[in-house]
Amino acid sequence: MTRLWWAQVKAVIRLELKKTFFAKRGLWIYAVAALPVLLFIAYAVAMSNEQHKTVKIAHGGQKQLSYQDLLAIKSGMARNEVLAILGKPPVNFHWTGRRPTGPGADEEVFREDYQYSDGQNDLYVSLADGKVESAHIREGYNLGQDAVMFAGVFQFFFLRLAIFFGCLGIFMNLFRGEVLDKSLHFYFLAPIRREVLMAGKFLAGLLATCTIFVTSEVLQTIAFLWHFNPHMRDVYLYHNHGLEHAAVYVGVTILACLGYGAFFLVAGILFRNPIIPTLAILVWEGINPFLPAVLKQFSVIYYVKSLCPVEIPVPPGTPGLFALLISNADPISAPVAVFGIIVVTCVALAVSSAQVRRMEINYTSE
Amino acid sequence: MTERIIFEDVSKFYGEILGVNRVNLSIPPGITSLVGPNGSGKTTLMNLMTGLVKPSCGRIEVLGYTTDDPENLFKLVGYSTQFDAFPKGLTGFQFIYSYLCLSGVSLSDAERAAWQAIERVNMMDAASRKIAGYSKGMRQRIRLAQALAHNPKVIVLDEPLNGLDPLARAEMIALFRACAAQGCYVIISSHILHEVDIISDQVILLSNGYVVAEGQIQSVRKEIQEHPTQILIRCDRPRELAAKLFEAEYTIEASIHKDGRGLLLKTRDADRFYLAMNQLALNGIHIESIAPADDDVLSVYEYLIGNEEVIR
Repeated sequence: MTRLWWAQVKAVIRLELKKTFFAKRGLWIYAVAALPVLLFIAYAVAMSNEQHKTVKIAHGGQKQLSYQDLLAIKSGMARNEVLAILGKPPVNFHWTGRRPTGPGADEEVFREDYQYSDGQNDLYVSLADGKVESAHIREGYNLGQDAVMFAGVFQFFFLRLAIFFGCLGIFMNLFRGEVLDKSLHFYFLAPIRREVLMAGKFLAGLLATCTIFVTSEVLQTIAFLWHFNPHMRDVYLYHNHGLEHAAVYVGVTILACLGYGAFFLVAGILFRNPIIPTLAILVWEGINPFLPAVLKQFSVIYYVKSLCPVEIPVPPGTPGLFALLISNADPISAPVAVFGIIVVTCVALAVSSAQVRRMEINYTSE
Repeated sequence: MTERIIFEDVSKFYGEILGVNRVNLSIPPGITSLVGPNGSGKTTLMNLMTGLVKPSCGRIEVLGYTTDDPENLFKLVGYSTQFDAFPKGLTGFQFIYSYLCLSGVSLSDAERAAWQAIERVNMMDAASRKIAGYSKGMRQRIRLAQALAHNPKVIVLDEPLNGLDPLARAEMIALFRACAAQGCYVIISSHILHEVDIISDQVILLSNGYVVAEGQIQSVRKEIQEHPTQILIRCDRPRELAAKLFEAEYTIEASIHKDGRGLLLKTRDADRFYLAMNQLALNGIHIESIAPADDDVLSVYEYLIGNEEVIR
């Protein structure tokens, strides 16, 4: 019997995949999945341009500088000291300005801005009347900062919007789309248990969403790493948990597809109008941080957020409510999170099974 | 296992709207036609039989299987519905093949069965084209092929001749007859009565959700007492025969046929008339033929339901 069911599930998957991947009504899902990839490509292009400029500045300098040379410049140093360490600046501006000296009194001041580079990092030096007023280093590669940016895009755009709406588009239409197309009865007239049909459709949806969003996730990682030089890339991937993080992000993507998929499958069967359940689930997932502990467990974001490998720091001065949205106040362990999402999925699929068994074909009422 | 399709006190309500009410049926093998005007409950009855809708009350059994057991039921049942919609992007062959695969058969068996079904409905040339480009008649035939592809014992066909040209109609009728001759249960809904008359072994007459009559058409006709039986007698001297028939007490009305070569008799006791005919024939009137004139579906339909929406 299990062999028969598996053969039937495979037949359903074959039929559904064709429809899901090539459906015109699902083209926007590809666009949503491609958006963060484009974002990271744009970022990589911008960073590459910056690096190109940095290298040009380094080559235009009088001396071949090191990062230590850049760090040696401190406030209060004299122009000659700066020139002795770093040489003649490849980029410099100077102008005369005024500086207040007391109530209603000011004086003329000669200002200069120098820019140096070691080929990767830029040093900006501001001088006033021949003394260093400020020295600021802009690091070309900031892995920590970039990893946080990647985590932010993943948690706040990819997870909460792209995967959420992608799953909505695919899973909600597994049954509802066929009711609208008036073709569901062909399935219901086949010698297949409705639970097996539902399982086949769910797996097809899962396969489709995972293919689309895992591909997007992998491309995002590639685009994110694009502007790093090979050495930095190796450091990030093999010595800075980069590879591990990439694998965890793929896993979280799959789990999110699983959880949201099950939610939207139920919603597509229970509701005729998709807007109401979508808004309800969106609000439910949004207010998750403010819910009591028991209710939190009936959401997808509660589990997947805990699995994300990079914690996003709350910027100082962020209002309490927003801080709660950004931070994960009560993270749970990875095994509990994975188990929790599987339980939530199973509950949703059980509800779907019961509904599909009772389902009647009555296209005229749609 | 019951060798019948059984409806026991089945009712179906769509909210407050009646689909069918208190239907009791026991359908034997052969071609059974569901006849009735639009909204009489023909499609509801077929949808109930195939589990597409659930009865509000009552019990349905198809050859021993309940309709909530699709895994076993649809090995025996094929249903060509009236819905003129198909899954998008499929060719005729892909459509039949894909849904055959759902039964768990091997891909090669599914492919063979799909081509056989396509051949049965004469769609070989168009099978590799997308269904979206088919004419109405072709869509009807590919639906029929899909219903027949797994060689079901029960074939349920909702208006199967709609959209077909006369040649295709004749081919399909021959196909239904062949299926019935093999012992299949062919359930057909139609409101084209002369076709029903040609193909049916038995009819189920429906009106406003109720079964008005069921059985072989002649038996149903006999049950209708308020309408006298009409008999057409072809003979060489119809006036003389009419005069003799008027003498008999079983004659209600006798009228000369329009062509003057026969007469139409109305009687409440056909058996006595048939006995008396032997005597009349001996009196020198040459009788060519005697045939009932109103034991067809059309007449029965008109007597029981009225001539609303009848398509001759």
